[in-house]
Amino acid sequence: MSNPLVNQIDQPLKRNTRGKKKPSDNSVSKYAAYTFLILLCLIWIIPVVFGISTSFRSQTEVVSSGFRLLPKDWTIDNYIATLTNTSTAPILRWLWNSLFIATTHTLLVVVIISLTGYGYSRMKFKGRDTLFFTLLGISFFPGVVNLIPSYKIIDAFGWVNTAWAMIIPGLAGMGNIFLVRQFMNGLPKDLDESARVDGASDFRIYLSIIVPLVKPILIVCALFSFTGSWNDFLWPVIVYTDVEKMPVTAGLLLLQDIYGNYRMIGQLMGSAILAIIPTLLLFLFAQKYFVQSINLNSGIKG
Amino acid sequence: MKKKINWAPAFFVGPHIILFAIFILLPTIYGIYASFTKWNLMNEPVWVGLDNYKTILFNQDSTFHTQFFNGMKNTFIFVGISVPLLIIIPLMIAVALEHKQVKMKNLIQSIIYIPGLISISAAALIWLLIFNKQLGITGNLFGSDVAWPATQPYAWIIIFVITVWGGVGGNMIIYRASISGVSQDLYESAELDGAGPVRRFASITLPSIRFPLIYTFVMTTGGAFNVFGQPLMMTDGGPRQSTHVLMMYIRQLAFGNGESIAGMASAMAVLLGLVILVISALQYYVMNRNAA
Repeated sequence: MSNPLVNQIDQPLKRNTRGKKKPSDNSVSKYAAYTFLILLCLIWIIPVVFGISTSFRSQTEVVSSGFRLLPKDWTIDNYIATLTNTSTAPILRWLWNSLFIATTHTLLVVVIISLTGYGYSRMKFKGRDTLFFTLLGISFFPGVVNLIPSYKIIDAFGWVNTAWAMIIPGLAGMGNIFLVRQFMNGLPKDLDESARVDGASDFRIYLSIIVPLVKPILIVCALFSFTGSWNDFLWPVIVYTDVEKMPVTAGLLLLQDIYGNYRMIGQLMGSAILAIIPTLLLFLFAQKYFVQSINLNSGIKG
Repeated sequence: MKKKINWAPAFFVGPHIILFAIFILLPTIYGIYASFTKWNLMNEPVWVGLDNYKTILFNQDSTFHTQFFNGMKNTFIFVGISVPLLIIIPLMIAVALEHKQVKMKNLIQSIIYIPGLISISAAALIWLLIFNKQLGITGNLFGSDVAWPATQPYAWIIIFVITVWGGVGGNMIIYRASISGVSQDLYESAELDGAGPVRRFASITLPSIRFPLIYTFVMTTGGAFNVFGQPLMMTDGGPRQSTHVLMMYIRQLAFGNGESIAGMASAMAVLLGLVILVISALQYYVMNRNAA
């Protein structure tokens, strides 16, 4: 069994020869491409701008007729109201819950996938590949089947309405491990062989040779884990009933009722924007990894 | 001579195997078992054989039957429309981005990717505002007085809008990374032979990225069958259950208000799981054969 996408990594590197101007690069196709992309960018960004701008409008301006992309009078009253309304909608609490869950989950993911990837890629033991591909095959079984029993298991551990319900089960997934193993398989064999001959332990080789070399893929997996955990929706609305304990995604579902029918639309938008900020900041901060490391051709050497 | 057992591998892969056993293997087996039982999450499941399946599939008087097929139908509508959009639009973007004279590629890519970072619950609040007939853009700018979430076909349209808006970024990045790896020499020699852009796309780009295409096609389809957040947040399954997808119904049966009917919900989950498995397998089979 193999992953067709990742297999491409194993193909020999093909160099691009960019930058040479071709006489046949006619301007018609250039303008067609630009028009398409700019139109798309506008459609993609306007909802975000409109959401942000509405969160800075007063309630009277929101309901007064007429469309304005930006507020006439900027106000932060919505944010003050949102952040101080702790009785029915403790958004700061929810944001903290999400931050704690996503950060802890991500750190554990990195530890687990690097250890496991090393085990399946760089160590030799009997039945290694059989074991790996058996687990991988089982994990292809659609997750919808284990949803209800997973809740039961979480309940048995006493984890309903705790952060552990979201931190731990996701660590069992195989997707990231597959990526890391594939990445490690691409490293030369004599790299750790010689260290082993010199008497270095597996843990030593793992920590000081292999992990530094696979850092790019670990960072990408970490980013995906963080945003995945932060944005998870189905599982939180199942395992959290305690308003104080839930992450912000589940909290926003409650807000739809609390601020119902868009009576307090500015506060609703303020809450939505607050819930976006962490993943957005992470993305802007780590953009080069998102863009480069996913590049199937340049990510290998690290 | 007795061979010494090497415990080192257990240190590296052991913890994950334990996690896998507890949180994937055990619940999967238990989920299949539960589908043959009457179970309310509290008491021990009682074995009832194929009863749940018979009710769901054949008992036309049962609400389980009608709800299951309504949910399945709506799920198929979602998959059938969203998957082509989530394959074709990202491909168009990736091709446009690979145009040699287009500048600011990374900025454009980031703008299109950003909605993918927004959770469905936050995104839905924003889009519901935009489609709000009194306060939003559609009402104020285009003079529409349609109550989008409560009227068909608009209820489906806003679900697809938010899905495409949030969903194209991931596939776009995969396609762009793959296309940028295709050798430029191929394009150059094709140009010398007089091949136009369409011909170059069909004869060089598409065959070169067929593995990423198969991969994203199968992954996107599998994900689409699990659709839940968009209809829950945008339309709450309405109007008149026309966007009520199967995952919403499974959750309601198992965890909703009132008596939990987890056995029946598990049977529906297994049926949905089987549909996903069969369709993924078919996709791999057909596309791999065509590609060979």
